[in-house]
Amino acid sequence: MSHKGKNSASSAKGKKPAKSNAESKAEDVLQAVVLADSFQDRFKPFTVEKPRCLLPLANTPLIEYTLEFLAMNGVQEVYIYCGAHTNQVEDYIGRSKWASSSKLSPFSVLQFVRVADARSVGDVLRDMDKRSLVDGDFLLVHGDVVSNLILDDALAAHRKRREASAANIMTMILHSGGPDEHRTKTNGITPVFVVDTKTQRCLHYDEMNPLQSDHYLSMDPAIADELSTEFEIRADLIDAQIDICTPEVLALWSESFDYELPRRNFLHGVLKDWELNGKMIYAEIFEDGYAARASNLQMYDSISRDILGRWTFPFIPENNIFLNQTFKKHINNVIIETGASHAHDAKLQNSVIGTDTSIGSGSKIINSIVGTGCKIGSNVTLENSFIWNNTTIGDGTAVSKSILAGNVVIGKGCSIPTGSLLSYGVQISDNISFSTAAVLSTVTSTGKQVAKDTNLLGPDSNAAPFYDPEDDELDDEDPSRLQKSLIYSLANWNLSTSSISTFNSDDESDDDDDSNLLSADPAHSSRSRLSSFASDDSAGKMSFHADAVHGLLDALRADSGDFDSAKLEFMGLRLANNASDAMMRKAVATAFTRRAVELVTPEHGGLDASKAAERAFTACKGASKFVNEVGVGGGEPAQIEFILSLQRALQHYSKGQEQQQAKSATLLPAMLQQLYALDILEEEGILGWWEDARAVDGESMAALKEKCKVLVEWLENADSEDEDDSDDDDSD
Amino acid sequence: MPSVSAGHALDLDKFLKSLKGQQLEASINSLISLLKRRQIRGSEPCAIATAHILLQVVARSKWHDVDSLLINVSRTGRRLVDAQPNELVIGNIVRRVLGLIRDEASEDRGDAGDESASEAPTPTDIVPPTSISQQWSSKRFDSVDSSTSASRPPLVSSYSSINPPKSLFHLLSTSPPTDGNVSPFKTSGASTPTWRGNASQIHALRSEVIDGIEEIKDEISQVDDQIAASAEVQIHPGDLILVHQPSPTTERFILRAAQKRKFTVLLAMAPPRRQHSPENQHATFRKKLSAAGVTVVNVMNGGLMAYMSRVNKVIIGARAVVATGGVVADAGSAAIARAAKEQGAAVVVLNGIYKLSPESPFDESSLIEWGDSSTFVSFSDGPLVSGAEIRTALTELIPPELIDTYITNLGTHSRDHLSSLIADHYKREDADFHIWEEALP
Repeated sequence: MSHKGKNSASSAKGKKPAKSNAESKAEDVLQAVVLADSFQDRFKPFTVEKPRCLLPLANTPLIEYTLEFLAMNGVQEVYIYCGAHTNQVEDYIGRSKWASSSKLSPFSVLQFVRVADARSVGDVLRDMDKRSLVDGDFLLVHGDVVSNLILDDALAAHRKRREASAANIMTMILHSGGPDEHRTKTNGITPVFVVDTKTQRCLHYDEMNPLQSDHYLSMDPAIADELSTEFEIRADLIDAQIDICTPEVLALWSESFDYELPRRNFLHGVLKDWELNGKMIYAEIFEDGYAARASNLQMYDSISRDILGRWTFPFIPENNIFLNQTFKKHINNVIIETGASHAHDAKLQNSVIGTDTSIGSGSKIINSIVGTGCKIGSNVTLENSFIWNNTTIGDGTAVSKSILAGNVVIGKGCSIPTGSLLSYGVQISDNISFSTAAVLSTVTSTGKQVAKDTNLLGPDSNAAPFYDPEDDELDDEDPSRLQKSLIYSLANWNLSTSSISTFNSDDESDDDDDSNLLSADPAHSSRSRLSSFASDDSAGKMSFHADAVHGLLDALRADSGDFDSAKLEFMGLRLANNASDAMMRKAVATAFTRRAVELVTPEHGGLDASKAAERAFTACKGASKFVNEVGVGGGEPAQIEFILSLQRALQHYSKGQEQQQAKSATLLPAMLQQLYALDILEEEGILGWWEDARAVDGESMAALKEKCKVLVEWLENADSEDEDDSDDDDSD
Repeated sequence: MPSVSAGHALDLDKFLKSLKGQQLEASINSLISLLKRRQIRGSEPCAIATAHILLQVVARSKWHDVDSLLINVSRTGRRLVDAQPNELVIGNIVRRVLGLIRDEASEDRGDAGDESASEAPTPTDIVPPTSISQQWSSKRFDSVDSSTSASRPPLVSSYSSINPPKSLFHLLSTSPPTDGNVSPFKTSGASTPTWRGNASQIHALRSEVIDGIEEIKDEISQVDDQIAASAEVQIHPGDLILVHQPSPTTERFILRAAQKRKFTVLLAMAPPRRQHSPENQHATFRKKLSAAGVTVVNVMNGGLMAYMSRVNKVIIGARAVVATGGVVADAGSAAIARAAKEQGAAVVVLNGIYKLSPESPFDESSLIEWGDSSTFVSFSDGPLVSGAEIRTALTELIPPELIDTYITNLGTHSRDHLSSLIADHYKREDADFHIWEEALP
């Protein structure tokens, strides 16, 4: 490791002697790296105009909390990476007390780090490694951390471990979240840590989400065999992503050039390859104190509530931690800054009101945070809402659980429903109501002026509903989708079974024999994840489907292996779950279709359709026999059902892969042809399917069917010599 | 106060260490941050920190006459008070220093002392704190109280009484190093032409004020010992003494009594927290008491009342005492004091004289320090966190009528004497320094 060393020779090793003769000399300098950009866009539309770390949390920009936290822990040197909106952040910090030019700054060094074209946290850290800015233990935090933890003990423990062995490179600061539901746990993505109870060594890390295909976590058996005799698997931890790192961590980032996320990629990867890299990472789990990241709007909401509930003490408005604040606590837990005024009959409760804000008579403000310079008319109702600076709200308007950014103007008598986000400077005319949560902005996601939507928002408006094109690019199953709104809800998600084998609900509704299993009706799809576990035997059936598909897929991916064991496992599952023939058929069809689709994708060689179909069905010894016996296992009706299952699975699966759609669409005829060649399907079966009304249900189903036209025609002619031609046609 | 000096997190010790190397403004700001973040908490640490920073203000800030020094000190004081309005001792120390400066200035200048007339409001402008207006005229605390306490040490009786014989000696001995300290940190040259006052006078004043502040610091550090000197008078053999969450002062007091007397101590404590089981709290204190042969009984706050009828004395360590005699103490004390009153047990409050504040609360609730919600409820308890509003009071105000005796480093006092003590230690023109400072130029 190279050490640039501002402080002459204070390399990681040179510190040990300095440490041993202890307190007489100045302490070694604690450094921190702040990642003020997290390369996510979960605060859109607000972050189009302002960086996340400058968004106000309880009337104070987020980054202030982070810097206070660092100052509190005696950090001396701070390196900030800004990313998007760098100029705004630098400008803000430059004018604040933190600036290194300011006499008031508790930091001896505060330096901005610019990284050209960084696309992920990984890029930034790899760049940090190249520059060798940090030369000792440092704290790695994000620019949206709110915490009051004193890290002395954790730092001391980390130092001790590091001195014991250079392989102990990192200590994560986690906070226990308890077994129950907790508002400050991240929704959507649940981090799972496996931690040794004695040494606190973290053995495994994974993330789970309600959209994922199975509800299992796979753990390296070596953990139990070799690494630990006693360990906990914890899914309750609140992870504020505060890490105590040695410079070796940065080196490790450099080694793994494709890691992007500190947790999902880096932590998971490093822990998984413990044998290779020999590094060890520890977890300090705090029971007291507070630590959380405002990593998305839901967390923003939760942390704001925690601030109102004084959990973040001393970082609460009343303490006026941040410069020039003059908040005072009044009755009903209303915290009002000097200069704010409210009518005497205004009802205020559990809220924060910034300076120069005026509140008209008869208004009701409950559990809300109102910024500075706002004008709130009379008879306004604000509930659980966040109003940023200089916003005007007309008389009689009601706002519930929404975020109104700075300089928003809302006319009289409007109603803003739960979950709405109004970005900077949005104006709304009088008497406008929305039926569902509105996301409004004056700019598009690229920062251009939007064409105003006067129909929706009235003649005086300057805004339009915000639409983020990147949303469409996201995978349907990407759990980050769950974190994009202010309200966490699974209502619009189909969580019933695995995503790989769940078909679109509109196709399911007419699925005759097993629609219950796929939860076609809205009541089913909106149920929470918990209840889906708890519910009757449909849960069992779902798990059968997921398990079966997975088992088969694994066997198919092995390619060369013997299929008999997979078959045995499958039959075992079937017996355990008392699965019907139809369910088995579906599982088999799904598994083989997935495999075939996989083979078409470039990562797996990009085979053409007929080759992929052939490989899927014949690569494994016994696979075709298995399909014949288990998947189809019968006469013409069974064959028709099986083809239908194939068609649905294909239609569903190819959806996720837009670019592959054209290619995978030709898979159906290829697979049918292959199955025909293997004598699994008979001419009658395919023709029967061709006639079946269910095969043309929905546009994409019909499109898939259309692709098979050539094959069917050829079958009808029953002319074996045309085989090659038709095959070519299909695969084009 | 548990201080983790090995770590990085800031605390009082680190702050005091950092004073030397930092610019004055940076020191003031770091103290303000520490107060706001509650990293310096409790009356004694706050008082020590305030005395230190005011000493720096006197030594290093730019001032050319008494008025500007007063303004500097009260400005800084006001910022400190704003940072932690619930710690009354901060204001007390600032007032003491202001008074000290006025005294020194009037002595130095002899007849020329016009500083008090220059910006202080006339007596009629200020509404004096309740019931003590007649006491304002008594310029200096005299023998009224000292007679009640035999053990009162002469050193700290009053800082101003020992000033006159020092001036020449200190002029020679302390000002050069002070000056040396000053010059490198001054923002705008050490000798600006605007100095109106006689330079030597300024030096003399500076060193005398610094000496005075050093005395205040000494006083704070000796308070516990001096209060403990009254212990034997208060605690009699065979007494049953109830102590609520003993502060260092209280511990010292009890331990001193334990050297001579055999009695029983009831140790009342807040409900145990996770990881902070009562066994850890005050463990060393209990060990020492047992070593001295004193029986110690631990009582949870809830079970206290059953014992109250047998208790002879309740000893409460004050965080601050307001002008009316009300005592700001750890939450839970007021209930104990009330129960003691009902049962006829004597309530004794231990407070250093520096904790006695001339302020009297207009709004009692404004004196209460509200703490972290996680003091009693774990943050891991999700349903409770989202379903309940949790408020934890750290301090509360014990009404004056519940208290029988106040023991300070100057002796034992009744409530009626407090006003004379206040008059003795604070100048009335400084009583409201944090309010009228705004009007200064």
